[in-house]
Amino acid sequence: MTNVDTSTSMESPLHHRVAHTNAANAGVVMKEDKFRGQLNLRGNPQDAAFTSAVEKVLGVALPMAPSSSVRNGDTVVYWLCPNEWLLIVASGTQGQVEADLRSAMDGQHIAVTDISSGQTLVNLSGTGVAELMQKSTVYDCHDSNFPVGKVVQTTFAKTGTTMCKLEDGSYDLVIRRSFSDYFFLWLQDASDEYGLSVS
Amino acid sequence: MHHIYCPYCEEMREEEEYSYTGEAHIERPKDPAAISDEAWADYIFFRSNPRGIHHEMWYHAAGCRRYFNATRDTQSYKVHETYKMGEMPTITAATVAANQVAKGDAS
Repeated sequence: MTNVDTSTSMESPLHHRVAHTNAANAGVVMKEDKFRGQLNLRGNPQDAAFTSAVEKVLGVALPMAPSSSVRNGDTVVYWLCPNEWLLIVASGTQGQVEADLRSAMDGQHIAVTDISSGQTLVNLSGTGVAELMQKSTVYDCHDSNFPVGKVVQTTFAKTGTTMCKLEDGSYDLVIRRSFSDYFFLWLQDASDEYGLSVS
Repeated sequence: MHHIYCPYCEEMREEEEYSYTGEAHIERPKDPAAISDEAWADYIFFRSNPRGIHHEMWYHAAGCRRYFNATRDTQSYKVHETYKMGEMPTITAATVAANQVAKGDAS
């Protein structure tokens, strides 16, 4: 329940993956959004006490429509299933957010789980990213099917991912820490024809 | 490419995201101790395995991680409908047979 002590040396899941050899004019840019706090929240969406308590803590209402998301500054909420959400918060604040949620929902039938260390947030952008997604995921990422703000849990190179399209056309992908190395090796191979830059 | 509709995500998703988890609408006996071994074995092991319309459970493993039901034709692999847990199918072997009679399709 305590906050992460960032004064100690921390290594993100993709810390060892640095600038690639064909990085000049790269068509795909990968940026790991390191150490973001990630909380899994479960509760009854029909229970007004639950939804209002969460809204009070996060400052935004939980997204109720399938595959939707909301943003409030550094706080991002993804719809995962009818009674499950992923909260992505500023690095190091997850302990406080978890404690605030627990005290606001005291006595309710809910679950808040800190999963920050189990997964990481990666942003993919660039001119080649649309084609990269076409060969990496079974989901149709065209704007008509996957508009800005939509959240989809699907497979990326056969591993699980939760992805969201941002306003600038880039993709935020939540990937498993244990698959991050595999993810990068796939990315390196798949983006070979466009060039890959790691920032 | 084979798309299946997830009733929780409310859209068509690729089959790769799902896994099949067996026959649907099998109810656990309320009082297992009170039934015969034969009835218990029937509940545990025996499945209908029909040729044609089959009601079965699917799991959206790579998606919302929810179980739902599907009505699938085991002969053609056509998924007629999917519906949430706790709901009942609108398409059954009986309705399909009635449709075929109405269309004059003897096969």
